[in-house]
Amino acid sequence: MFAKKILSYFDTIAFSYKTNFLLFIIAGGMVCIIFLSVISIFSLKQDFDVLFERRTKPLVQLEEIKDTYKINIYDTFYDIQHDGISYEHATEVISLAKQLIGDGWIDYKKRIDSDFYKPSYVTSLITSAYPITSIKEKKILQTSIMNNIEKKITTIDQLMEEILYLLKYRKTEKAFELVDKLYFEINSINIYFTSLINYDLNLAINEKRKTEKVFNIIIIISIISIAFVFLFSIILSIIIINNFKKLHNSLELKVAVKTKELQKLNDSLEKKIKIEVTNNRKKDLIMFQQAKLASLGEMLQNIAHQWRQPLGSLTMIIQSFQTKMMHGKLTDEFVDRKVKDSLLLAKNMSNTLNDFRNFFNPDKDKTEFLLKDCLDHSLELSKYLLEKERITFTCAIKDNLTINGFYNELSHVFLNIISNSKDALASKDKGEAKLICIVIKKVNDMAQIIMIDNAGGIPDDVLPKVFEPYYTTKYKSAGTGIGLYMSKQIVEKHMSGTITCRNIKHKLGTNQLHDCAKFIISIPINQ
Amino acid sequence: MANKNLNILQEFNILYLEDDKNLREHTKDVLEDFVNNIYPVATSNEALSIILNNKVDVIISDILLENENGIDFLKYLKEDKNIQIPCILTTAHTDTKYLLNAIQLKVENYIIKPINIKELLNTLHDILLPIIQQKEIQKNQNMIKTISAVTDSKQVEVVNYIFNNLNNDNLLIASYAEIMEKISISKPTLIKLFKELAEKKILTKTQHKTYRFDQKSLEAL
Repeated sequence: MFAKKILSYFDTIAFSYKTNFLLFIIAGGMVCIIFLSVISIFSLKQDFDVLFERRTKPLVQLEEIKDTYKINIYDTFYDIQHDGISYEHATEVISLAKQLIGDGWIDYKKRIDSDFYKPSYVTSLITSAYPITSIKEKKILQTSIMNNIEKKITTIDQLMEEILYLLKYRKTEKAFELVDKLYFEINSINIYFTSLINYDLNLAINEKRKTEKVFNIIIIISIISIAFVFLFSIILSIIIINNFKKLHNSLELKVAVKTKELQKLNDSLEKKIKIEVTNNRKKDLIMFQQAKLASLGEMLQNIAHQWRQPLGSLTMIIQSFQTKMMHGKLTDEFVDRKVKDSLLLAKNMSNTLNDFRNFFNPDKDKTEFLLKDCLDHSLELSKYLLEKERITFTCAIKDNLTINGFYNELSHVFLNIISNSKDALASKDKGEAKLICIVIKKVNDMAQIIMIDNAGGIPDDVLPKVFEPYYTTKYKSAGTGIGLYMSKQIVEKHMSGTITCRNIKHKLGTNQLHDCAKFIISIPINQ
Repeated sequence: MANKNLNILQEFNILYLEDDKNLREHTKDVLEDFVNNIYPVATSNEALSIILNNKVDVIISDILLENENGIDFLKYLKEDKNIQIPCILTTAHTDTKYLLNAIQLKVENYIIKPINIKELLNTLHDILLPIIQQKEIQKNQNMIKTISAVTDSKQVEVVNYIFNNLNNDNLLIASYAEIMEKISISKPTLIKLFKELAEKKILTKTQHKTYRFDQKSLEAL
């Protein structure tokens, strides 16, 4: 439960905290382990050192004392017994041995009493935590042994005094008796010493065991801590990896959701686009209609003008019959002449009407026709407007080309450009010549129609937009802004040609250079 | 068409300036029956030479000519050459710009194409009538003056007095005495004159001192 709580809490905290935590755990664990092991190793080493020095030295001392008894005293007395050495010499040796034994024993006792073995801090800490069987009750044994030894030493000392005293006074038999007793005492003291040594050795072994135990515990602690750090790192890593996976999964999920949304949006956009496109098509249709109506208006003006003159004449002819009748001059010859004239006029009017009607009839099929005819027809249709603005136009048909296409649509294009030129020229000063020059020639399997006017060119800011729909520089009443757009559509979509425009300087057959606008229509000849 | 006496046009010369050849010919064919002489021309230069060399009474001009403008030509005539000839403008345009220019030029009329020949003739008549009338008045005055010079001047003076004192109802209100005060004439002569006028029903007495002048009696003579 608790672990689960921690885990769930751990899940909630921020990702960066988790990684930091992991890093901290690993680093801290490592540092702890290293620190612990270094300290343990050094303290253990110290323990071993101290143990060795403290336990071996007293042993050596005891051994020395034991040897002194055995060699110096025992041997000396043996020599005396067998007349090996002189009395003086023996006394000297024995007093020296006594001295050595006394010093050694005091030293040993001092060592035992004074600096009682102090284990290192770590060892003591561990021993306090894990109590190791004490050896305190054995201490009594040690004390009793030591007491016995002290007693024996005094006994031996007394015996030796007595022996030496007897020897001094040459009571050899009695002395030898005592020497045997001394031998016995020395043997017993040696046994005591041996047991003390054994005891000390036991102590040393015990301590060694203790140290070993401490060492084992340290090792176990180290292993446990290493295992703990390792485990913890792995758990943390797993948690973090899980976290990564979760994050990844959630991100994937999010991405999928967003993708779906995007797809939806895309779909709806596509629908919208479709609707807009159809709307646009409708708009385009309306626009084309508008453009046609606009040019229809212009054409109507043309028709009106072209009809007005013959209409005037016809009116006059009709009235002339009445006046001639009044004056009695209505002769056959006069009637014949007038009827002939009127029929001619009526025929012209009819032709004009046909021209325009054909112009507004949409072409259903592509037909083969001479470019020149189409151009002439267009000029004829716009002749009145050009004349009205006193515009002179010249045509240079360099190649008489036949193309396959929509006659009326191309005628529309010509009329549009001529109409634009006319509008531009109309705003020019009256003094200057108003010129439109049209050239038809063949360029690389393309029929090129170049239309130049000297109206000063198209302003730079307008030039890139002339073919855009609804772009017009004229007042609303004057243009719909789709004439050139429609022309472009016709040329590019229906004739698979191109239409471009730019500003040039050209003489146009006069002496001076004019600022001109140049429209180039290229239409493939072999279609 | 016979509302007006179009015969008066017979004495006049007309200059017709029109660039459309068909219309010019047909209009000429119509007008030549009504006027003395018609000069159909296509350009202002031709027109000017005709005006300078011939007697032209009326100019009929189209406004939009080939490469020129009829109004400009008329302006040139009136302002630069100081030739004052009545003008009629014809045009296919109802443009007010032209109309204003035409009014400023004080042209006599402004006819919209197609031309109604009746309207044109009426306009010509209206323009030329004052000229004819002016001529007539001048002629009559000359006649009266001539008559009075060769006959008894007193009687002419009395007739003159009678016509000068006719009121709006063609009535003369006067006594012999009043007439004799103005004109030194003997009473018997005056009475004889009035009697004669009464016999011819030119001046009939309606009541005391009141006489009526009857115009119809003059035509019956």
